[in-house]
Amino acid sequence: MDEEYDAIVLGTGLKECIISGMLSVSGKKVLHIDRNKYYGGESASITPLEELFAKFNAPAPDETYGRGRDWNVDLIPKFLMANGLLVKLLIHTGVTRYLEFKSIEGSYVYKGGKISKVPVDQKEALASDLMGMFEKRRFRNFLIYVQDFQEEDAKTWKDFDPSTANMQSLYEKFGLDRNTQDFTGHALALYLDDNYLQQPAIQTIQRIKLYSDSLARYGKSPYLYPMYGLGELPQGFARLSAIYGGTYMLDKPIDEIVIGEGGKVIGVRSGTEVAKCKQVYCDPSYVPDKVRKKGQVIRCICLLDHPINNTKEALSTQIIIPQKQVGRNSDIYVSVVSYTHQVAAKGWFIAMVSTTVETKDPETEIKPGLDLLGSIRQKFVSVTDYYEPIDDGSQSQIFISESYDATTHFETTCLDVLKIYKRGTGEEFDFSKVKVELGEEDQ
Amino acid sequence: MATNRTGSQRANGAPQTKVCQFKLVLLGESAVGKSSLVLRFVKGQFHEYQESTIGAAFLTQTLCLDDTTVKFEIWDTAGQERYHSLAPMYYRGAQAAIVVYDITNQDTFGRAKNWVKELQRQASPSIVIALAGNKSDLAAKRMVEFDEAQAYADENGLLFMETSAKTAMNVNDIFLAIANKLPRNETGGAAGAGGARRLADGEQPRSSACCNRAPPRAASDTRSGAGDASGRGVRGLRSSLRKAGFTRALVVSQAV
Repeated sequence: MDEEYDAIVLGTGLKECIISGMLSVSGKKVLHIDRNKYYGGESASITPLEELFAKFNAPAPDETYGRGRDWNVDLIPKFLMANGLLVKLLIHTGVTRYLEFKSIEGSYVYKGGKISKVPVDQKEALASDLMGMFEKRRFRNFLIYVQDFQEEDAKTWKDFDPSTANMQSLYEKFGLDRNTQDFTGHALALYLDDNYLQQPAIQTIQRIKLYSDSLARYGKSPYLYPMYGLGELPQGFARLSAIYGGTYMLDKPIDEIVIGEGGKVIGVRSGTEVAKCKQVYCDPSYVPDKVRKKGQVIRCICLLDHPINNTKEALSTQIIIPQKQVGRNSDIYVSVVSYTHQVAAKGWFIAMVSTTVETKDPETEIKPGLDLLGSIRQKFVSVTDYYEPIDDGSQSQIFISESYDATTHFETTCLDVLKIYKRGTGEEFDFSKVKVELGEEDQ
Repeated sequence: MATNRTGSQRANGAPQTKVCQFKLVLLGESAVGKSSLVLRFVKGQFHEYQESTIGAAFLTQTLCLDDTTVKFEIWDTAGQERYHSLAPMYYRGAQAAIVVYDITNQDTFGRAKNWVKELQRQASPSIVIALAGNKSDLAAKRMVEFDEAQAYADENGLLFMETSAKTAMNVNDIFLAIANKLPRNETGGAAGAGGARRLADGEQPRSSACCNRAPPRAASDTRSGAGDASGRGVRGLRSSLRKAGFTRALVVSQAV
């Protein structure tokens, strides 16, 4: 440990592991440390099942849960958008070869107490029970407009400037009612709240395009999920970092981040050992005095021995409950994975209900989500603060990631990573650096 | 996870070569020659001053045995063994392992025994383990006796050879011995979970017929026993070899 590094990365959550991989690939000498014995921090998948029960102070699971080792339970639920940033990162870095994925089978949206399939193309729009006859046609016209839209070709904008006009006005242009706006903004564009209505429409158009491009890639839904759980992702990127020379130490407590002249970081101390460095990259838990609370997320892990009603017995699914449907300001998300992803024993399902906390009684807030699940064998609730850094790290050279938010996919995760990389190195990450060198491995 | 893609496919009635793919992991103390063994096996090269593993920690090599093509997906530790920080992912689904020690260094033999224990604890129960006493060209400086290692290997049911990445002695042989010991029957070996895929550039969009027509594959993942055989989709395939496998999967589904 007593050496000098370009960068020391603290915590092996997904964001830190991606950053570590990028830095190593860019030729930086990296030391990557975690205080835990395992990879993944908050983005680990807990195994065996006994460990999960112990973590929430519950009595040990009985034999109906099968072998504990067959379980890998995520603490933070998210899916990958098949055409999203994380998939691009996985492919460009070659990390994809360490992982296997399955498509999530269904994508549903909640309306008036029941769930319906999210319609994404013209055919589905016309068949959907979410809209009446005339509204379906209007929605179909809207979908066609989005599909044909090309940012670089103003002809496809059809007398509407999406870079200045807001999304509300685009909805109005197509005459879409509040209901349709609701599932479009929340189940297709995946916004957490309604602030997007006042933003330039281009952002929403791009998000809907991401959804439909992702869907076009592998089928049934736009989402992918890794076999053995999300905890595989940080491990994959950690391996990338190691392959490019990164040094890994687990189970290593960090006692101090050593600051030198001008408030700039000069190293990290563990016990009596000090590793010198020019920069530190870390998650908020390593620097409690350099982050501020941004909000709270409630996540409820539910173990089920049956699929969710009205999802055609799907072994995996996502259900979005748009905020307005249940009188809230932020959406409630339900994600379901199961034994088919090697994250649960045969016959078992793991449902996660989550949202951004808005009241003093967060458990009541997620009730509409829990009500969709049917009988729940075991429930684990966690309410966690999420943090953001108080500065951009340019002075201290300590670059801090934001906690994982309530979004259902990894787009904000990746954007944060790319932003941090740019803040730390002063340049955009050059994907071409990896591809060339990894090429020769592949025969 | 490496999948044992067995398939004695009969396209138009003609028998084809079986292709089995196995994940093989290397273990052993730093500087015993893990990467050198692989480089010798895969590329026929040897570098006296091989750098600590950087850049290439995932190599593939194909062996032909009788009517079967055995493809090894070889995982090197990438130095993550140094501070005992190998990720569980490393062992996950491995069907074979080579535990390497340096015959001129007794400590590395002790460490090798620990790795064997670790494999017995963490890896699939059916994993084929080979013990390699490397640097046999340095027999003059030998600190670990051949008989001692052989006895240990026999006790633990391991394949054993002394190897030299420098002279190439027994390098191909040890991989061949492993390939011979791995199950190559239709359903043998640890099959991947049905329908899981690797992601790759330029993968076929769903409109392509193959995505939903892959045959159900046996899902006897020994680690969890919780596979399904629903056969949704096939793995996204990267190299041309894998593409060949992809085509075969398609052929089967049409034949069925």
